Amino acid sequence: MSNPSVSAVFKLVKAPIYSHCFSQDKSLLAVTCKNDCLVYRFTNGTPQLVATLSNHDKTVTAVDISIHGRIVTCSQDRNAYVWEPLSDGTYKPTLVLLRINRAATCVAWAPNGYKFAVGSSARIIAVCYYEQENNWWVSKHIKKPIKSTVGCLSWHANGVLLASGGTDGYLRIFSGFIKGLDSKDAVAGSPWGEKFPFGALVREFYHGCYIEDVQWRSSVERIGYVSHEGTLNVVDSANNHSQINAPDGLPFNTLLWINDHEILCAGFSNHPVLFTEAAGGWQFAKDLDKPASADSSVHNAVNNNEDLDESEDASTTFGISALRKFKQLDLKGKVSADVNETTHENTITQLLSYKEANGQVTQASACGLDGKVVIYNI
Amino acid sequence: MAETNWRRIDIDAFDPESGRLTRKDIEPPYSSQITSQEVSSKISQLRSLASSGDSKAAVALAVSDPPYSGDEATKNEYFKAVLETLSTVRQADIAGIVGDLTPVQQDALVKYLYKGMSVPEGQRQGGILLAWFERVTQVAGVRPVSHFINDRNTV
Repeated sequence: MSNPSVSAVFKLVKAPIYSHCFSQDKSLLAVTCKNDCLVYRFTNGTPQLVATLSNHDKTVTAVDISIHGRIVTCSQDRNAYVWEPLSDGTYKPTLVLLRINRAATCVAWAPNGYKFAVGSSARIIAVCYYEQENNWWVSKHIKKPIKSTVGCLSWHANGVLLASGGTDGYLRIFSGFIKGLDSKDAVAGSPWGEKFPFGALVREFYHGCYIEDVQWRSSVERIGYVSHEGTLNVVDSANNHSQINAPDGLPFNTLLWINDHEILCAGFSNHPVLFTEAAGGWQFAKDLDKPASADSSVHNAVNNNEDLDESEDASTTFGISALRKFKQLDLKGKVSADVNETTHENTITQLLSYKEANGQVTQASACGLDGKVVIYNI
Repeated sequence: MAETNWRRIDIDAFDPESGRLTRKDIEPPYSSQITSQEVSSKISQLRSLASSGDSKAAVALAVSDPPYSGDEATKNEYFKAVLETLSTVRQADIAGIVGDLTPVQQDALVKYLYKGMSVPEGQRQGGILLAWFERVTQVAGVRPVSHFINDRNTV
């Protein structure tokens, strides 16, 4: 396991992890697992299960931790919970009534930690904030003109602009301005517009297929998003749009800005891919954690295999060679038998920044359908 | 109640605001619609290229700027011309032609191959379409296929 691009691997659960999040100081890790959210505490680099947040009764789809340590989870049971950490290490759940009639798909805390947005299959984005006088999380809806499931959300650093993408093929920017919580100074001089009343559609970009993930890069006022056709796209306030294909053609599920000119993407190819912006636009930079033998094309790999079989057949007795032949025929879901494993053995579902300095991410964490959380060195 | 297939219950039946995604909603917002005159001039251009024996230029023209915004009849008419062009190319030349196409042209080519396989006119030429498909995936991998599946610009 001497792989320079992999810093740590945590095999946590025997189920897919759709979403994960580290606390601000990286001492806590929350992952979704079936109907629960599991919270791990790191002591000397090993994760220890310290809490199971189990109020949901359907699959938990997303989790996020605010800068204050509050955990928010949302689920296909149409609810969200805010989990307030108590001094004894347990969590006090508060139900957030989202008022939606379909599954909640994604959740994101605003940078200030006082409100969060939930995307749903009910074609609604619910922006939720705490009301002191009622001791209640209030949910306000953004409905128009969303036409289908909202699959991903990202807050601008100013805490007002909210980018969303979904299955209707549109990337939309809404205003999530909450009176009394946000100040107009935060968006003064924004290149995206003048006025930002709650729920206003600030900008809309047609893309044409499912948008899997979206992320703001607030320092340069740009948005990166990945789509289900296997492309990375970057747009800005002047409607400039650049697009680049995934090198192996498989779709990306998630992206992470490394700095103003580099983006890390990951998805169905089980390993992250780095793109950089050069003078001529965005281009492929390198694969992280990609085994060398997987470089050859599918056809070559299969042909090599057959050659190998024949030479071995000659030297062994018939019965054993037949057994081996069938063993090798079973590729166990892989493209060819001699492809080395990537660290993530299945699709990567979410990339997050793990360590960064001066606006440059140096380590990224990723969770996947194989139940692992992997820390990559960039 | 046990007999009711609850997965089929229409939970939106009494919700007036639940406008569902219609075919029109997922159509790309074209700024202008291509007319049948423009398409037929391109088709005659294709035919003259193909008859002059320059199959490479003919294929490249066929898969450049397909009439995405046209109506069904226009698209079908154009498709037939593309199919004609593809079937005039000799098997040995296919790999070279595919390799010289840009990624966007390769994507469009795969769209026509899939369309061909879905209609009787194309199915009669199935062997030719499969030969093209094999060459494209050898050159470009699965990218044009995943683009075809996801792209709402149909041919």
